[in-house]
Amino acid sequence: MAHQVTSKDIPINGEHLEKGKIATLQMICGGIGGLGLIASIIYLIVGSGQAHGSYAFSWLFAVFFITTIVLGGCFWTFLHNLSNSGWGTSVRRLMENLGFVFPFLVVFFIPFLFPNVQQYLYEWMTAYRDVVGDSGNAKEALLHDSDPHNHLLAAKVFYLEPLFWYGRFVFYFAGLGFFIFLVRKFSIAQDTDDKPGTKNLFAARKHSSWSMIIFGVTLTFLALDFVMALDYSWFSTMFGVYVFAGSALNSMAVLILTGIFLQKMGYLKNVVTQEHYHIMGKLCFAFTVFWAYVSFSQFFLIWYANITEETRYFLLRNTENWNILSLMLVFMHFGLPFLALLRSDVKKSAKFMTIFCFYILFMHVLDVYHMIIPERGPSVGLVIDHHPQLWISGSWLGDILALVIAVCAFLFLYLRNLTSAALYPHRDPRILESANLHN
Amino acid sequence: MSTKVRRVYGYLAEFKNASQLYKAAEKVRDAGFKKWDCYTPYPVHGLDDAMGVKRSVLPYFVFFGGLTGFLTAIALAYTTQVGLYPTVVQGKPANIFTTAAFFPVMFELTILFSGFTVLFGLLALMGLPRWNHPIFASKQFARVTDDKFFIAIEARDAKFSAESTKALLAEIGGDNIELVEDDSE
Repeated sequence: MAHQVTSKDIPINGEHLEKGKIATLQMICGGIGGLGLIASIIYLIVGSGQAHGSYAFSWLFAVFFITTIVLGGCFWTFLHNLSNSGWGTSVRRLMENLGFVFPFLVVFFIPFLFPNVQQYLYEWMTAYRDVVGDSGNAKEALLHDSDPHNHLLAAKVFYLEPLFWYGRFVFYFAGLGFFIFLVRKFSIAQDTDDKPGTKNLFAARKHSSWSMIIFGVTLTFLALDFVMALDYSWFSTMFGVYVFAGSALNSMAVLILTGIFLQKMGYLKNVVTQEHYHIMGKLCFAFTVFWAYVSFSQFFLIWYANITEETRYFLLRNTENWNILSLMLVFMHFGLPFLALLRSDVKKSAKFMTIFCFYILFMHVLDVYHMIIPERGPSVGLVIDHHPQLWISGSWLGDILALVIAVCAFLFLYLRNLTSAALYPHRDPRILESANLHN
Repeated sequence: MSTKVRRVYGYLAEFKNASQLYKAAEKVRDAGFKKWDCYTPYPVHGLDDAMGVKRSVLPYFVFFGGLTGFLTAIALAYTTQVGLYPTVVQGKPANIFTTAAFFPVMFELTILFSGFTVLFGLLALMGLPRWNHPIFASKQFARVTDDKFFIAIEARDAKFSAESTKALLAEIGGDNIELVEDDSE
């Protein structure tokens, strides 16, 4: 057996990521992310024209990609506390740091608060504003409107109502943002606790319970409000779970990558072993299968039942070139990773997992792209001869730009969180149990 | 008095606790024995490492079991639903584009065949089911379900010898060392 880790191996004040070691990376990310973020927000608020509408979709795509990963960080933090786990104590701080990016994400979402952006993304808002106006009864107004499309909105107006929408927006970031802050605070308070006991640990566990419910509600309805509402006539009860599956999978990929890179820089050496990567790899494998299960179930039920208002989502995504992307996701987001992760030795190999995690993150980019961007053509594009265009030429440049900005800004925030506290909870009662993990 | 010739199964040695057994197992492993086993009232973590047990070959069987199930499902679905008797259900075509409808069948049969391979492969690798085990001839062995830990080294092992194996077991801390004879016919 390997060397038994004892309390002598754990530094008394914990391991801290030296700011100097990552200063360059953080500066570059902060520069690109910060400037890009400000420029994007200003452009989205004041811009106009087709390129502007196109960039609104690019921005939603990039921001939602980051949001799913950060939400996954919240999920793993709460789950770890809630299930009273011992195995992951040495990587728990990474989960907390990833999740704690969430409150900052509200800045990324600012453009969506403005009607100038909403007009492209959320047609229901435009319809609501045009039709309802000052009239007291929104449902009646929509139901008796001359445009029959608005009758569909009348049935959903209890939920798709701008004021309620803004209320939900506040709830997402205030609610989950507060709870991830709180749970992380308990964990960090333990690091400097003179009498390290179980007080903070139990408090974190206790508060993770309702936090988990807040998380579930936030992820589901955030996905509904920002992505499913792109086409208000469509609905799927599995959409939240579908987003969650990708979210949990890819945040785990980010956690594995963080662990590997930190170990390369000489941190976490004593507490994180192959066994941790094995478990995290297994979770990746499980969520690869779960993602496939959920996304197929969503497709299958809609495909089989073939009800007009449900099929629109897949009709659009199976038309022309979008079909290639849909098929790619089947084989490359599920088939290949499934076969690749079957063996236990590959999950323990840092080299393989690095490649795999970057690969699966790229697949997740395509997955989010597949959720959001097909709506862009019909919403912003030209209608030629009664056929809405599926693709706006040159719009991919905006997608890449938005993605680079959002990823850089995310990395800056994540690195900031990593340097702001010890890299693992060194005074947690179960840190030795986790360091000596054997599975 | 019986004059029946009995086959020697091997030596059985008793140990007081799990940590004694663990250390003894490491020594038996290092002595180069292959056909031997540990018996404990409850699972002891890391004992497989101490015994030098290699990873099972079962996962490979399961992979090919699952693959067989998957291919069976494809063959079943396509020959019946597309080849022999195309059925139009819900206005869906009966061709390659019906694949989505066959996924549940592929999924289920992959799992079913994998599950069967696990069960029957495991039984086969463990040599189960069997009516009796020679080690049950030992009276003291009954306590393995209660509070005692045992190591049994089989006579079939190439390194087995009547004297030195007994000496080894005594040396590594075994009590009540007993030569177990197979009393089944």
